[in-house]
Amino acid sequence: MQRDLGSFPLPPALRAKLIACGFQSAEDVTSMRATELSKEVGISNEEALEVLQIVRRKSSGEESQLSVGLPSFRKCTALELLEEEHAQGSIITFSSALDEILGGGVSVAKITEICGAPGVGKTQLSIQLVVDAQIPECFGGLGGESVYIDTEGSFIVDRVAEVAQAAVRHCHLIAESGRDEAQQEAVKEFSISSILSRIYYFRCHDYVELLAQAHLLGDFLAEHRKVRIVVIDSIAFPFRHHLEDLSLRTRLLNGLAQQLIAMANEHRVAVVLTNQMTTRFGEAQSSLMPALGESWGHTPTTRLILRWEGKLSHLVFATSNHQSRLQLHPPTHASVRGQMTRMGDDVVHWTLIQMVWGGNQTWQARGLLWIHYQARGWIWIAVGPGLAVGSVNPVGLEN
Amino acid sequence: MVILREGICPGATAQLIQALKEQNVKTVVNLVSADIEDLAQKCSISYKTLVAVRRVLLAQYSPFPSNGADLYEELLGSTAILSTGSQSLDKLLDSGLYTGELTEFVGAPGSGKTQVCLSLAVNIACELKQKVLYIDSRGGLSSSRLLQLIQSQVDSMEEQSEALQRIEVVRVFEVHCLLDVLQDLRASSARQATGAHSSVKAVVVDSATAVLSPVLGGHQVEGISLMMQLARELKTLARELGIAVIPTRISVEFDITSCGTLGSRTAPSQPSTGDRGNT
Repeated sequence: MQRDLGSFPLPPALRAKLIACGFQSAEDVTSMRATELSKEVGISNEEALEVLQIVRRKSSGEESQLSVGLPSFRKCTALELLEEEHAQGSIITFSSALDEILGGGVSVAKITEICGAPGVGKTQLSIQLVVDAQIPECFGGLGGESVYIDTEGSFIVDRVAEVAQAAVRHCHLIAESGRDEAQQEAVKEFSISSILSRIYYFRCHDYVELLAQAHLLGDFLAEHRKVRIVVIDSIAFPFRHHLEDLSLRTRLLNGLAQQLIAMANEHRVAVVLTNQMTTRFGEAQSSLMPALGESWGHTPTTRLILRWEGKLSHLVFATSNHQSRLQLHPPTHASVRGQMTRMGDDVVHWTLIQMVWGGNQTWQARGLLWIHYQARGWIWIAVGPGLAVGSVNPVGLEN
Repeated sequence: MVILREGICPGATAQLIQALKEQNVKTVVNLVSADIEDLAQKCSISYKTLVAVRRVLLAQYSPFPSNGADLYEELLGSTAILSTGSQSLDKLLDSGLYTGELTEFVGAPGSGKTQVCLSLAVNIACELKQKVLYIDSRGGLSSSRLLQLIQSQVDSMEEQSEALQRIEVVRVFEVHCLLDVLQDLRASSARQATGAHSSVKAVVVDSATAVLSPVLGGHQVEGISLMMQLARELKTLARELGIAVIPTRISVEFDITSCGTLGSRTAPSQPSTGDRGNT
């Protein structure tokens, strides 16, 4: 079987030398010994050995009758795949409508992308998912651990604790109402501290760190076999800033995407990415679409786009003083979903900058922050680079 | 470029090879294009021996031309047309997917390329009862979806599981792995040449650009070469055994999902008659 040398993963300089000396196909190379090869081509013995190893490994796989021993790919029939898919579950989101759309929940071994305008709830959903992945199997969950890679700094531990508390309470209720012993056993170990201890948190400040983390994640997942979800929140932020070369960005993103899907497939994890929105200017109007370009659009297996539909989320926040610090109480679990109401006619348009989240509940704004308040509550306007336009209703104060 | 070696043909002794090497004639091409008289003088080898060796090498390594009529007969005999399962698509493709050719599906994200590929694979497995190799490089293949599509075509559980068994799935996420898979397919088809009924009839590559886009562009010079390697591999596969798809160069607007059908005969040195797919 004539296999061209160009199709082997050889170092380019070596390959150029081999071709210059007349070696075109794998057969030409494998019939020689390392010393002969190094003499003819003019490379060192180690390099010749390396070349022979790579070429022989690939071609000996072809000649053997079994393809099972090959590490590079695995063939199976669709029937076997179906059985595997049924065996692995999916991660529920605690929103039955969303679960229905997703076909049971966020599927394992696939990439799911959550896109939306600022403040629509992407980080909240990701936090919910890292908690949901840990729900014990007897309650219908996966009983696994979670990895959270944070690039924006929006991971607030108190909020995670609140979500975890709600999940624990939910499981307790089920266990108490049912008679299942396994459930009652499992629920004893399922507590806020156990949930928090099984979330592995990584903070990446720019795209280089993110790419490095993605490289190392493979080994990490091989060691921690119980991880069932990897969340990257958000994947858009490091790539949209400080990266001028767009073709480099496309290449890096595509490479990252392939790494992620390979990892998802090999280690059986669900990969969830959060993306931002950008504006596309058409002939007569502009529309919001997911960021990072169209080529990125092919990457995720499932894409969830969250939009505002005129109703606004119920945010409660207060300020301690009229300066650049804004103390925000994140909404409770129930209020985000349950009470999306319009608070009168005080619709105000505001400009949001990239908020740099602090490590605790204090959220600091980059640049100058002006705070105005009206009769019903507080609104804030911040000024800085990067603009997104939205509208929010001020909501009542709760002290 | 085949390197001259001892025993490459009768008459090519080690001495001859060594003498030629000293004159910087290392490959068959060098020998065939060199001036034999001149060479005979310099190497002190007889002119007759050199001419004889050259004739044998030419006979061994050059391709054979064939005339148009033979080619046409061969094409009529070996090409099969696989229906896609959708009448409008069949009409567009002139009654279906042709074996020995590459057919490419291009579209924006979410436009339905993976779904078309899945339904094609299902159609070939259920209706035509042939084997399909589905190479998935994006994780878009879901077996439950395949089952859904199959269930709309056949009713009995047995037939459904048979159809599922006819679809082979390979997951590769890197371009060298993809080349390995295609090479392996060629090797195994060559081995099974006699038992033709169990060989693969169609190869679907979804998607070729996913594996190629990280290596294309920028200062990487091997990206284009890898892409051409892949294209050549797919075309050879199509010609010798069946079809695969061509990866096209990605512009930001496009993505490629490939789909193909496989022919049933080996035709090693036939020139291609004008593909339907395009680079």
